Amino acid sequence: MRQILVIAKQTFREAVRNKILLIFVILSLIAICCSFFMPVVGGSGERIKIVESMCLRSITFFGILAAILISASSIPTDIEDKLLWTITTKPISRINLIFGKITGFIYIIGLLLLIMGSASYALIRFAASRQDVQNGKELIARVKFEPSDLQVTGKSAKNIGDVYWIEGGGRGTSKWDFEGLSYKERPGELEIEAKLLVESKKRFTRKIPINIKIINPYTGKVQVESIEVSNNKPASLKLSTKTLEGSEKLTLVISPENPGDFIGMNSDSLKVFLGEKSFEYNFLKGLTIISSQFILMIVIATLGSTFLSLPVNILFCLFIFFCGNIIDFMRDLSTVINVFGAHEHDHGISDVVNKPNTIVFFLNYILKKPLLALSYVLPNFKNFNVGHYFIDSINIPYRKIFASFGYVLLYALICLPLSFVVFKRREFT
Amino acid sequence: MDNNIAIKIEGLTKVYKGFWGRKKVLALDKLNIDIQKGKIFGLLGPNGSGKTTTIKLLLGLIFPTEGRAYVLGKPTDDVATKSRIGFLPEESCFYRFLNADETLDFYGQLFSIPRKERKLRINRLIDQVGLEFARKRPLRQYSKGMLRRIGIAQALINDPDLIILDEPTSGLDPIGTRETKDIILALKKQGKTVLLCSHLLSDVQDICDRIAILDRGKLQIAGTIDELLSRKDVVEVLIRNLSDEAISEVEAFIKEKQGEVISIKTPSNTLEDLFLKIVQERNSSFRDRNKRGYEFDQIGSEAMSRSNKTDQLN
Repeated sequence: MRQILVIAKQTFREAVRNKILLIFVILSLIAICCSFFMPVVGGSGERIKIVESMCLRSITFFGILAAILISASSIPTDIEDKLLWTITTKPISRINLIFGKITGFIYIIGLLLLIMGSASYALIRFAASRQDVQNGKELIARVKFEPSDLQVTGKSAKNIGDVYWIEGGGRGTSKWDFEGLSYKERPGELEIEAKLLVESKKRFTRKIPINIKIINPYTGKVQVESIEVSNNKPASLKLSTKTLEGSEKLTLVISPENPGDFIGMNSDSLKVFLGEKSFEYNFLKGLTIISSQFILMIVIATLGSTFLSLPVNILFCLFIFFCGNIIDFMRDLSTVINVFGAHEHDHGISDVVNKPNTIVFFLNYILKKPLLALSYVLPNFKNFNVGHYFIDSINIPYRKIFASFGYVLLYALICLPLSFVVFKRREFT
Repeated sequence: MDNNIAIKIEGLTKVYKGFWGRKKVLALDKLNIDIQKGKIFGLLGPNGSGKTTTIKLLLGLIFPTEGRAYVLGKPTDDVATKSRIGFLPEESCFYRFLNADETLDFYGQLFSIPRKERKLRINRLIDQVGLEFARKRPLRQYSKGMLRRIGIAQALINDPDLIILDEPTSGLDPIGTRETKDIILALKKQGKTVLLCSHLLSDVQDICDRIAILDRGKLQIAGTIDELLSRKDVVEVLIRNLSDEAISEVEAFIKEKQGEVISIKTPSNTLEDLFLKIVQERNSSFRDRNKRGYEFDQIGSEAMSRSNKTDQLN
């Protein structure tokens, strides 16, 4: 354990004295500060959202870049400079050496994250104070609830694709049940957000009124409110938490007010937000999730550095990071390639179909299958995306943090033993 | 295994695998050597003879294709044994941004030497290798010889039982070479085993008890210096203050006794002796001047003014 810390300290010291850490700190701070001067279209809260989003993106970008460059280069450079000749001939096992290096990289990235996180937080607070928002009230973290059940009834109820449609004027209703709304621990407001598809028989109608019946199943109290909704734009209704008195359940019945007006919905169309949590706490949780992807990158880069040369390893890591961000696209692409192939065979478009088709073969074996395999093997870096939580002011659930670290742990459990096996057999010629 | 043996090499063979069109290379071919404890063993050979490969195999930096080796009674991959080994690689490869103190401290920590003990050893070793004046300077500012000295210090930081030195005098000036030889001899006196790898034959001849000569990965010859180098049919007599007449008489006497005089000549000093004499004289006069109150600055300014005068004359 002590030797691991010695190597970690040395790795950290190397990054500091080589000034590589300083360069990353300066560049990331410039990027973070630039976010304040981004042009903004919209209300006063928009600037804060832009600053939040830009800061988180800068932290992610520079953190990943630093993780790749530092951890992908350290071991190959030590091997090339023959530094490992003097280190591995000391009483330290190669496994401990790898652990020490990884710990050192985590120190470096941790410090970088601390600096970037602090600067980002200060800038977000500053932006909030400048936006004439009461005491930075835009900086909230609401707890999001999704419906446990949705029932669409009435004469007009139709299901087209994934969307349920109902008409107003009592010809159709949608009933939404929400559970687990423990309001006592969450001071603040109850907010209902509806993002519906809207159609109307009346020409040039962009907004239609809808009725929302709020039912407390415990007390039996019913409250009816009306709001106007536009097509696919969120509209919200704020209520007092007293509505929930005595109950952790809530039933909402929604229908368009007028006949000839239609609303389309699916289970994601209605959300309930309850209370406010500390923004600082949420920001910290966001940084924790972001940091987990840095650890993942460090582990992958360390694996690469046990058998690849410096430039190849950096390219390898950049490739993994790039592909890890377009996993969904890779899967979609492989599906599209499948469609092309099936299409030709099913319909027999030309005579070529009956003969072995080189293009289909090429697409299938050279592109589709490797793409599909890669999309399942490579880590999906979208899992670490937290930007939308801050843009929508939503509290990050703990399960998201555990899921992120679990995901990293899974890859670490594969990559680390591989690194040990490869590095143990590595010859320093 | 014999307790008196520090290193045992049995049929050690190393073939560097060919890759992507590169040919296989037989670097070491069935090497068998025993190195006794408390001795200085010299491994000699031309470039590419397999000396460094042997050392790398002994230290577990590379793995044998065939054969086995035991260091201090344990296989070469035994991590714990490495705490009893000191190693100076052929090239001085250290963290260039660290200074001498930090470098030795880093290696000392790898041996888990307690802080106080580490500090004492660092001071002693820096003094021993003559780097006191540059101990706070980063290694990137060191000359090749200075790096060699810090390399020797790091090899000795753990007070090892076995010291493996690959070209220890490479890049050192004659004084450094002499001091290094003295250090190695002192280690022998302390009962340490030294494996010395060099192609500077005079260095090896001066200090080694036993040598082995490798060529193209094969052991050509092994034995003690005396066994390998002594010429029992020849006698060398060095005489001071003998006149030409007396020399002729001695020559006649030898012939009378049926001996053959091969050559009679006045021996000359070696260049190393001359160099050391001049530098030592210079150092002693420098010390005297210091005792008389001269300061470094004065000497520097004298040198500067001399240099300026020369420039003006030119």
